[in-house]
Amino acid sequence: MTEFIKTVKKLCDASVKDYVNPYSYLDWPEALDIEQWFTSPELISLFGTELYDRMTEAEKKRLSFYEAVNFFSLNINGEKPLVQGLAERLYRRGNEETTRYLHHFLDEENKHMVYFGGFCRRYAGKIYPDKKMVFPRDFEQGEQDFLFFAKVLIFEEIVDVYNVAMSRDERLVPVARQINLLHHRDEARHLVFGRQIVRDLFINHSPRWSDETRQQVRNYLGSYLAAAWKEYYNPDVYRDCGFQDPLEIQEMAYQSAHARAHRKRISNGCIHYLLENNILDQEPAL
Amino acid sequence: MRTEAEIRESLRDWIVKTNGKIQPEQLNDETPIIEQRIISSLQVMDLIFFIENLSNRSIEVESLKVGVFSSINTIYDAFFQSNS
Repeated sequence: MTEFIKTVKKLCDASVKDYVNPYSYLDWPEALDIEQWFTSPELISLFGTELYDRMTEAEKKRLSFYEAVNFFSLNINGEKPLVQGLAERLYRRGNEETTRYLHHFLDEENKHMVYFGGFCRRYAGKIYPDKKMVFPRDFEQGEQDFLFFAKVLIFEEIVDVYNVAMSRDERLVPVARQINLLHHRDEARHLVFGRQIVRDLFINHSPRWSDETRQQVRNYLGSYLAAAWKEYYNPDVYRDCGFQDPLEIQEMAYQSAHARAHRKRISNGCIHYLLENNILDQEPAL
Repeated sequence: MRTEAEIRESLRDWIVKTNGKIQPEQLNDETPIIEQRIISSLQVMDLIFFIENLSNRSIEVESLKVGVFSSINTIYDAFFQSNS
């Protein structure tokens, strides 16, 4: 039995054991006062800026609410194409072994959207819309599969660091903590699967790609990582908090020295893995 | 309210600044910015935020037609034509 098949079997067993009914597991408060902590202050996009320091505690807490709505929204917006991509790969020839786990992956991603959507609809009355667009293009053999799983991995690696930190943060409103914890429990398995499949796909396919394609893939992943981070600085959040020039605030927050160091620190594990496996050949600019 | 010329100039400035390598004289309103990879698909999200700010209205990405970001002309026609 190959290492990958063994991993898939273990992950399937763990998913069955950790099965959660998303409709009965969480206790949803009827209403929530939004002047409480919903996002750990240190993870708020404006943290470390002069603007943040000037805000009152109540304003910071309101911001932490809209940042949570943004965090849950960007997860929904990332999971929608993920579910689509996973469904397309079910029972595909050559995917016999992975299909067993793809069923769990799909099921768990759908559940995450139930939690995230439940929070956003109940307490904010909306989900921040997705602003990403994908343009169709041609791929070399295996390139599209590799990029699909590599993008999922990068996205989930960042999210999981936030989930772990917030699941342990006792300052947060319980329902926000619980959602972060539930998400992390599944994501921990998805990351094991993701790291392995991304490495295997790269090893199997990239030697047949042209040098130009290999370089384009590397450049694209570096840019994708930076773009994934940009979603954490959402002008709509700043607008909802009453700031006058949301786009200027986005730029200021994104470019701040604190934010750069924060992105580097949070992405460190993911970047290290991609470099170690020769998937990236240099650290992306964040 | 901004004039058509001001909007087009703002779009040009943003594209030049975001690309970081292209010179302003290399870009006109018909230049295919996606096809020539002056703007990447990953930068379109920032472009959408910029257009929303400039037009003062929200953009529903799911309802956009293919090709709206092809050039400054197509962007102007899609998001500003009725506003200016």
